Amino acid sequence: MTDEQIMEAVQNGDLQQASLLFDRYHQRLFNFLARLTMDREVAEDLTQNVFLRMIRYRNSYRQGLKFQSWIYQVARNVFSDHYQQTKNKKADFVAVEKMSEHIADNEDSAMMDEQEQLLQKSMALLSEEQRELLVLTRFQHMKYEEVAVLMNTTVANIKVKVHRAIAKLREHYFELEKI
Amino acid sequence: MEKEKLESLIIDYIDGKLNEQDKAVIECELAANEDAYRLYKQTREVIQAIDKSAQLEPSMKLKSGFDKLLKAEMEQQKPVTAKTIFFSPMIFRAAAAIALVLSGVALGFWINKNQQRESELVKMKEQMDQMRSLMLTQLENKESASQRMIAVSQVVEMEMKKPDDEIVEALVKAMNEDSNTNVRLAAMDALSKFHQEPRVRKELIKSLGKQKDPVVQIALIQLLVKMKEKGVLHDLKKIVDDNGSMKAVKDEAYSGLMKLS
Repeated sequence: MTDEQIMEAVQNGDLQQASLLFDRYHQRLFNFLARLTMDREVAEDLTQNVFLRMIRYRNSYRQGLKFQSWIYQVARNVFSDHYQQTKNKKADFVAVEKMSEHIADNEDSAMMDEQEQLLQKSMALLSEEQRELLVLTRFQHMKYEEVAVLMNTTVANIKVKVHRAIAKLREHYFELEKI
Repeated sequence: MEKEKLESLIIDYIDGKLNEQDKAVIECELAANEDAYRLYKQTREVIQAIDKSAQLEPSMKLKSGFDKLLKAEMEQQKPVTAKTIFFSPMIFRAAAAIALVLSGVALGFWINKNQQRESELVKMKEQMDQMRSLMLTQLENKESASQRMIAVSQVVEMEMKKPDDEIVEALVKAMNEDSNTNVRLAAMDALSKFHQEPRVRKELIKSLGKQKDPVVQIALIQLLVKMKEKGVLHDLKKIVDDNGSMKAVKDEAYSGLMKLS
């Protein structure tokens, strides 16, 4: 059964089917939100909120639309609402030095090597837009075409932005490595 | 070759997305240009670091939370059965409806006329009380850090001239004891709004001696220096002399000492 068929069933009132979509998407959405918020506890809350909206606003899903694009759009909205509500404080919230502790739990942090920590710190120094683009295309392996649909822009534009984001990430990475 | 174009070609080269012609161009450039080769090596290392980066695993709390919310939504979906009283014949039903409407209008008019002004005041007070109690409940929500952060943000938005004791107490508790750094910082930020209040000032000073999280320590030192609070000189000196303090915290404390002395 495709994601779209399951979502249509949910839309028609078979809410139990929502758990199939949760099983398929919760880890990806959690990773997406954890890398954007840089706080796993907050990311878990927000992921749950995405699925709550998926159920409550199921009628806003247009049949025929790719489910993945729709659910990621919901996740982006959830993140944006959270960011707006907390933005004045957010800027200083997670200091770069603490990044790996916020994003990893105890088990993860043991596995997180120096290179990974450097990567997380460099990611934190990117703009929100650049971070989101890299999370979607590089960490979540979404195609440029899919991201272009999500961000309502052209594939060429996404490619240019992703390449600039990688270049910026490289700069931060090697600057931090010197410290 | 222009740097942005070169970097873009290098990324496509690493991703294996170049056609034969462009591939030959970039390989030639890498062989001839030392800077280009350094750029290639660095870009490759960053891309490999991303590819190697592990998937983060959510805790079991996420699944159990979802199961709970799904159950609640399914419960809500069940149709509510209501008792219906039928009057027959039709004329009685119409009469009952008209009587109900008329008595409703009359009652509403009477209540409205006598109590409008009073109820507006009561309503405003109720709204404030509701917001306040919602905020305090959200702050107690151990399950959700984002809810606690929103609760703290609401204090700033409530435009209170003077905070009440319960709110100050809840914010101080969040600043000193919350498990999440972001919540602790947000609580400190909310308290700073009332720093003219002697009891808030006292709690902020006291907190410097308690905080162990370097992120909060640095933010707190910056705030106390901004408040020109000389009462913290002793605590700042203690941080500077403490071998266990993080270097960045020591530096901030030292700079604070300089500014306040």
